[in-house]
Amino acid sequence: MQKAPWICATCVQRAWRPLSRRGMRLQSTVASQTADISPALLTRARTVAQQHASIEKQLASDFDVRAARKLGQTTGITAALKEWEKANESLAELNALLKDSTTDKEMRDLAAEEMEPTRQALSAATAALKTSLVPPHPFAHLPCLLEIRPGAGGSEAALFAGDLLRMYTAYCSNTGLRCMILKYEDADGMADPRGSDAPLQEAVLEIENEGAYGRMRSEAGVHRVQRVPATESKGRTHTSAASVLVLPSFPSESDPSASGEENWDDPNSDYFIDPKDVRTDIMRASGAGGQHVNKTESAVRLTHLPTNTVVAIQDSRSQPKNREKAWKLLRSRLAQARREAREEELVAMRRSVVGVAKMGRGDKVRTYNWGQQRVTDHRSGVSVQQLGDILQGGDELEKVMESVRQWLGEQEVLGLVAEEEIKAKEEEKQKAKAKA
Amino acid sequence: MEVTEAFTKVESDTSTNSRNEFRWLKEHAIAATKQTASPARQGWRQRLRALCVVRGRGRPLQYLLGTEYFGNLEIVCKPGVLIPRQETAASVTYLVNRLVQRRSQLPSRLRVLDLCTGTGCIPLLFHDELYSAIAKHPRLELLGIDLSKDAVRLARLNWQEQLKDQTNVRGEKSPRVQSLERTNFMRANVLARVASDENPTTPSVEGLLSDASASGEVRSEWDILTCNPPYISPRAFNHTTARSVRNFEPKLALVPAERPGLSDDEAGDMFYPRLLEIADFVRAKIVLFEVADLEQAQRVAEMVVSRNAFERVEIWRDDPSQVNDHHDHTGDLKCVRLRGEGNGRTVVAWRAEGLDWLGE
Ligand SMILES: C[S@@+](CC[C@H](N)C(=O)[O-])C[C@H]1O[C@@H](n2cnc3c(N)ncnc32)[C@H](O)[C@@H]1O
Repeated sequence: MQKAPWICATCVQRAWRPLSRRGMRLQSTVASQTADISPALLTRARTVAQQHASIEKQLASDFDVRAARKLGQTTGITAALKEWEKANESLAELNALLKDSTTDKEMRDLAAEEMEPTRQALSAATAALKTSLVPPHPFAHLPCLLEIRPGAGGSEAALFAGDLLRMYTAYCSNTGLRCMILKYEDADGMADPRGSDAPLQEAVLEIENEGAYGRMRSEAGVHRVQRVPATESKGRTHTSAASVLVLPSFPSESDPSASGEENWDDPNSDYFIDPKDVRTDIMRASGAGGQHVNKTESAVRLTHLPTNTVVAIQDSRSQPKNREKAWKLLRSRLAQARREAREEELVAMRRSVVGVAKMGRGDKVRTYNWGQQRVTDHRSGVSVQQLGDILQGGDELEKVMESVRQWLGEQEVLGLVAEEEIKAKEEEKQKAKAKA
Repeated sequence: MEVTEAFTKVESDTSTNSRNEFRWLKEHAIAATKQTASPARQGWRQRLRALCVVRGRGRPLQYLLGTEYFGNLEIVCKPGVLIPRQETAASVTYLVNRLVQRRSQLPSRLRVLDLCTGTGCIPLLFHDELYSAIAKHPRLELLGIDLSKDAVRLARLNWQEQLKDQTNVRGEKSPRVQSLERTNFMRANVLARVASDENPTTPSVEGLLSDASASGEVRSEWDILTCNPPYISPRAFNHTTARSVRNFEPKLALVPAERPGLSDDEAGDMFYPRLLEIADFVRAKIVLFEVADLEQAQRVAEMVVSRNAFERVEIWRDDPSQVNDHHDHTGDLKCVRLRGEGNGRTVVAWRAEGLDWLGE
């Protein structure tokens, strides 16, 4: 680490030579100057960097696809760590210069002047290092499905669910995302979203762009509305809610070259669905069938027996189309459920160390207040006054979403810290045991 | 919304399905009204109300909407020609899937003859499924035959629609489109024998094929023979068919023409002996016949077995691709294997040459 070339702000760079000529030893002050990065994370980054170096060496002698892929994953962290160490050393050296009584005034002024930008560079490098350590969400690069359902609050909740659906559809068209309604069901059953006059029961919006999951992930949770319903004669404000689920959407043809997780045809994949576990009910008219009846039922219902997950699609007159949609939805739901189960475990583990906020599907994430024309996100704490723009899926909505994405990132870093601390403790215990 | 009330009377289907039907009719009414550019704002509502009333009286939805989905195809339907059924599509798809599993064994030139072709749905779906799996299959040839003029006209229309669509998507030169180009639909009478031609204006199948092959148009050898013939017995027609079938679909497509001195079962089974004769004539390696139920399936399977000309006989249920765990037995026909879930729907048999294509 000491060997890392010291390329910092230009003026201090000039100061480097005289400093080293003086034969001054720099003490490594890493431990004391970790800014706001936890030692556990730093250890983790260093381990990765070491791995990176050894993989590189291995690849130089013989090429291996697996190793090459692994290298891709470690490159980011290694680069971020290098950046951070550079910044950290700059700061250490500036400090040393300032403390050293033999430093002449010119140099001292120069160093003092350089202090602030260097600090800033370090904190930027720290942030970057932290995010580089957070593994990308396994679904982030995928398209997604958005499921919207009214919660408590009767028809008012259903109306609000409809508002949310329109909001997201508008958001997609404003931001150039391709979306389509996969399923729309009102109180009377399947309906045409344009002509339905009954309250919305369930809507599934498919956003087809790659990366849509990562982008929309901020929207999962319970959205709350406070307003005076059209039907309320006394002008009282009601509170009701609608829930939004964000599910990963997999391409309808499994891509055998896809990495293990997405290739659901691969029994080793986490998202593998054994066709034997899925019962298909095509709701056929009972009785003779064949030429005797001329049925118009095209509904397809899939039941994943081990988890009792049921998906029914009756949107299209074409049974194959309904079947395809149903499989898509089933895959998405199961993948999300499996992912959530894993996250649940992680969160439980992390919580034993620090208070990592847990935001599950049952938590209130955002409130839309008609009276005050205000939208508040309870995770990022951001409040925006332009309710109208938000409901039209405008820039203000993007602003709120971005604040949540940042918040999610921070939460993940916290989680990571917790994990590393737990690991470190475990190791210590092991060592202590080994000694004993 | 009061229009839906006319709807509660729609027979068979569940109430959720009448909701679906209402939605489809509404979409149709709006689209149809737009097309005719009717000046009246209320246009589509009136149209919808009318549609609901006639649907409520039992007219099949597919005749009102003008199409039915059959596998991945949307087949044009018109009164006077039987509406294709989902079970038929399921067995065609399953047959092609089985053939595709052993694709290396398939001959480069494959000929499929469909008798009683109606809308032409069976050969068109066979084509679609085969080329979806094997885009470069060198040469698939299809011929559909029906007695009804309306049916042949409609089959040709459906064929032209496919040809148009596929030429747009894949281009003239693709094997898929070339195969469609070679497809044909003709009139002939399956029940008529060459010798005793009852209706001199329509040839027998053998007559048509020989004439055609003499003129170099089609050869008289066909690898696969498919047929969904009229198979409902006179009694069953009166008792088990749905009202909208009985009152609105052509009886010619459902019940074999009456002949004196036959039992009810024999009357319903009338086509199968002839189909087996034609199978011999064209030297079909695989035959696939739709039937009414498991009993008829067993009778037909017995006819096949007694001819001693086929190596394997299977009975497929409504959804042959579903694995069933209950141990089925086919009565005395121990050599006949049952596949899938649902009612007995199709009898499939293949000769020694077909063994390579369908396996054991
Ligand atoms: C049950 S429909 C099958 C139609 C189509 N293959 C399908 O699966 O939807 C039977 C067809 O056989 C035709 N048909 C009836 N008697 C016939 C005969 N003697 N020769 C040829 N075709 C006949 C009818 O016109 C009708 O189109």
